[in-house]
Amino acid sequence: MRIFPENASSYGAEIDFIFWLITTVVAVGSVIVIFLILYPLFTRNKQRSPEQRYLKGQGFKQMKLIYLGIVILAIADFSFLLKEGPTWTKIEETLPKDDLHIAVIGRQWLWEFVYPGPDGKLYTADDVKKINQLYIPVNAVVHMDIQSYDVIHSVFIPNARFKQDALPGRSIKRWVKMTKTGTYPLTCAEICGIGHANMKANITVQSQEDFQKTLAKLYKK
Amino acid sequence: MNTHKKHGFWHRFFFSLDHKDIGFQYMLTIFLMVSIGGFFAYVFRMHLAYPDMKVPLFGLVTNKDYNMLITNHGLIMMMWLALGMLLAVVGNFLIPIMIGTDDMAFPKLNKISYWFFLISVILMIASFFMPKGGLGGGWTLYPPLSVGDFGYNTPYQGFASRFFTANTFVLLAIVFEFTSLLMGGINFFVTTLNKRAKGMSLLKMPIVVWMINIASVLFMFSVGPLVAGTFMLLLDINVGTGFYDAYRGGDPLLWEHLFWFFGHPEVYVILLPPLGILAEIISTNSRKPLFGYRFIINMTLLAGVLSMMVWAHHQFVAGINPKAATVFSILTIIISLPFAGIILAYIATLWYGKIRFTLPMKWALGAVALFTLLGGFTGLHLGASVFDIYAHDTSFVVAHFHYTLFPTVIFGTYAAMYFWFNKFTGRHLNKTLGNIHFWLTFIFFNGFAFPLFLLGLAGQHRRIADYRQFEFLMQDPLPLYRQIATISAVILILTQFIFIFNFFWSLKKGKKVESNNPWEANTLEWQTSSPPPHGNFAVYPVVYHGPYEYNMPERDKDFTPQNEA
Amino acid sequence: MNTTISKKLTWRDIPQARLAVWALIAGEFAIFGGLIVMYILNRMKYETWGEMAQHTNVIAGTINTFVLLTSSYFVVKAHEAAVHRNKEKIKMWIWLTILCALIFLGIKTYEYSHEIMHGFTLPGKHLLAEGKNVETMYWSFYYTMTGLHGLHVIGGALALFFVMRGVTKTGENYHRVEAAGLYWHMVDIIWIFLFPLIYLIH
Repeated sequence: MRIFPENASSYGAEIDFIFWLITTVVAVGSVIVIFLILYPLFTRNKQRSPEQRYLKGQGFKQMKLIYLGIVILAIADFSFLLKEGPTWTKIEETLPKDDLHIAVIGRQWLWEFVYPGPDGKLYTADDVKKINQLYIPVNAVVHMDIQSYDVIHSVFIPNARFKQDALPGRSIKRWVKMTKTGTYPLTCAEICGIGHANMKANITVQSQEDFQKTLAKLYKK
Repeated sequence: MNTHKKHGFWHRFFFSLDHKDIGFQYMLTIFLMVSIGGFFAYVFRMHLAYPDMKVPLFGLVTNKDYNMLITNHGLIMMMWLALGMLLAVVGNFLIPIMIGTDDMAFPKLNKISYWFFLISVILMIASFFMPKGGLGGGWTLYPPLSVGDFGYNTPYQGFASRFFTANTFVLLAIVFEFTSLLMGGINFFVTTLNKRAKGMSLLKMPIVVWMINIASVLFMFSVGPLVAGTFMLLLDINVGTGFYDAYRGGDPLLWEHLFWFFGHPEVYVILLPPLGILAEIISTNSRKPLFGYRFIINMTLLAGVLSMMVWAHHQFVAGINPKAATVFSILTIIISLPFAGIILAYIATLWYGKIRFTLPMKWALGAVALFTLLGGFTGLHLGASVFDIYAHDTSFVVAHFHYTLFPTVIFGTYAAMYFWFNKFTGRHLNKTLGNIHFWLTFIFFNGFAFPLFLLGLAGQHRRIADYRQFEFLMQDPLPLYRQIATISAVILILTQFIFIFNFFWSLKKGKKVESNNPWEANTLEWQTSSPPPHGNFAVYPVVYHGPYEYNMPERDKDFTPQNEA
Repeated sequence: MNTTISKKLTWRDIPQARLAVWALIAGEFAIFGGLIVMYILNRMKYETWGEMAQHTNVIAGTINTFVLLTSSYFVVKAHEAAVHRNKEKIKMWIWLTILCALIFLGIKTYEYSHEIMHGFTLPGKHLLAEGKNVETMYWSFYYTMTGLHGLHVIGGALALFFVMRGVTKTGENYHRVEAAGLYWHMVDIIWIFLFPLIYLIH
């Protein structure tokens, strides 16, 4: 049974790995906690008459065990952070050199994808706009300037494990590198009004030659 | 000492200053609100599983309806149910009587708090009937969407067209409710500090009293900036300022920070009273002292402080500085540690105890298990900022917060009900119905919430009225998961009617208590009559020791009431 | 019989009313603190933010600051009179405090009308039309912060009035004078923060 959609991006596998790392550790922890809760419950009738430990003094052994539990959790926590830190830096704080630079603009209720046009520069007069359908080449670093005209939207590409909110008044640059050809959904992950459920775009990843052909067709008009 | 003449029900309802009556009023009002919130959940879940169906008792659900239903479900449950039940109801019922005094420090202020709460409820319900309909756009009220379609270029059609909108009314309702809770918080705090029984030092108080007070103080500090922000949003809507409008010099991200600066501590405000309730029930039903009383208080204070430093984990992909995000990620993961300590302390209370698997104990253990294993642990997933990139605004988050909120708010409330009902009414809730209620709730809550994890991992994004146009979300077994979640949710909601029936029937016809202290508990409320008289105690108690002296070696009873020398 | 509980039970000898007002003040500080932090962050982010402060009336603001400080002195005298249970003096000092509040509000109204006439309004339509987004924000914050503060001045003055009436009529509850006075000091302190931030910064 597949849990995640197919991973088609360069950093997707790392994100999936973080999930499985945390889940495995947490599953082990859960088994322990379930045992700790159920054991006294199920053996309650066999309890010897409890000599209780009271507020001051006794209970030191249990306290040590509690601290041990906290320390183990802390170690697990830090292992998660150590593993996810570099990936976060890679995705959010670095920008590898781009092979393609586009703008992705959300508006109620569609996505605009803006190509730089024949001059190769965005925000010039010859930019070409496509609605709800994005073409990018495979194995290429794509820089996306994520913007919004009106309210807050969010660009979500599940197969790329990519997400970035689109805020009005800001342009946020993020990158993605898709590794498999195909057509993948691009949805809006921030409620933006009554058409939020209708904001659906597709991102088609093509081979280099197919992409050049697409671009030529796009720029011809 | 009771010198009041008998008043009619309605007179008592509106004018009584007794904290128990006021607690009951809050409870009835919240029952009304939760019925509405639960009804909305029923409607939108039916729509999600059967999109073209005319939902019984509602009709066809349009996109606009759907947005309105989910938004108001969230608002009602988070603001009115959670905050109301766990601060106002629990605080009002328990604080004065557990500290051995007659009433709150300021009974009239208490009454006024309730009036403000009632006004907030009326405003909230009125918002559904505004000309443009109820509020959509998510309970988080992010602008510019929450400012309405009053964009930069919309001509101003007069103040009335802006004021009589759900946007304005919901915000005003929230302002009134926050004011009510702030007043209540002052009352709780001063009562706890000033009116404790003789001999009850702060460290001899039942831990639930600590928890309610820490929660109130945490609420007070975190809500301030949001109150300011709410005024600013009201001005944006009604006057045309641009605090959150990027085209007018403002910034939508500002609201996100203000909202979550409160919103994160809020979930700990909601969490702390149930943790306190669970502690009382676990200790009493294990016939053992609560393990690590001071340790738990310290961990709670630590968690409270940390909780004010993690808010931007709701904004990892919102466009904040990624370096700041890393700091928030680290702090979020660290906050798991004090809570782990608290839960382990509760578990340590269980071990070597003589456990009584009563109905309140079932709710309490169920709450601890579900909250820790599926709520708390998935918080680690979401706190890891890189995984949150994928999971943010998917059903994974919805599952996470239902697994943290439902076990604590709902199970915690029921645990309190089944534990204290006989004290405040003098009658028992029916045990058979209670057991049916517990098991059905436990099973069908999991049936509802667990599939949501799987749906979220498959990439299902949130707040979508109709998933049919996303083929990747229509592949098997995803529609089946949605249906399982819906059917479980509907059965879950129907199951709660068993409780409602039990509650109101037992009020009049339940089995009368034979003893004031059927649970053989130590705290002061059990040492007075059921129900307690006006003024709570015929003779005010003097306290000799803490509340957790169960099975003390030199005593023959296995419990030692606090006012017994 | 309420023999073991007295209404005047105090924690660490703090009278109940005073404790409650401190709790209220803490909450109010959180609210105004949020606004002040937002204001400061905006000031740090935008260079042109502080320029609008030149259009505030610094003289009026300074006079208002002295008015509020004087009113705080009056409220302290009222408290002194309450300690000595002197109803006449309480009435006099509180009326003087309320007079100061009215002067403060009057000067503020004069300032507001002047500013509004010059086009510096809450929604700032004229400034927006010139594309001056940041400056508009300044005025939005100005009116919100001083407006909210003004509402607290009114509320505090009303509280003082009702406390004075209650005390002089019934001759009981003198501790309420101190409680209301404490609230009044808070209103004053908030102004002490607002004044330099809003008027003097540029």
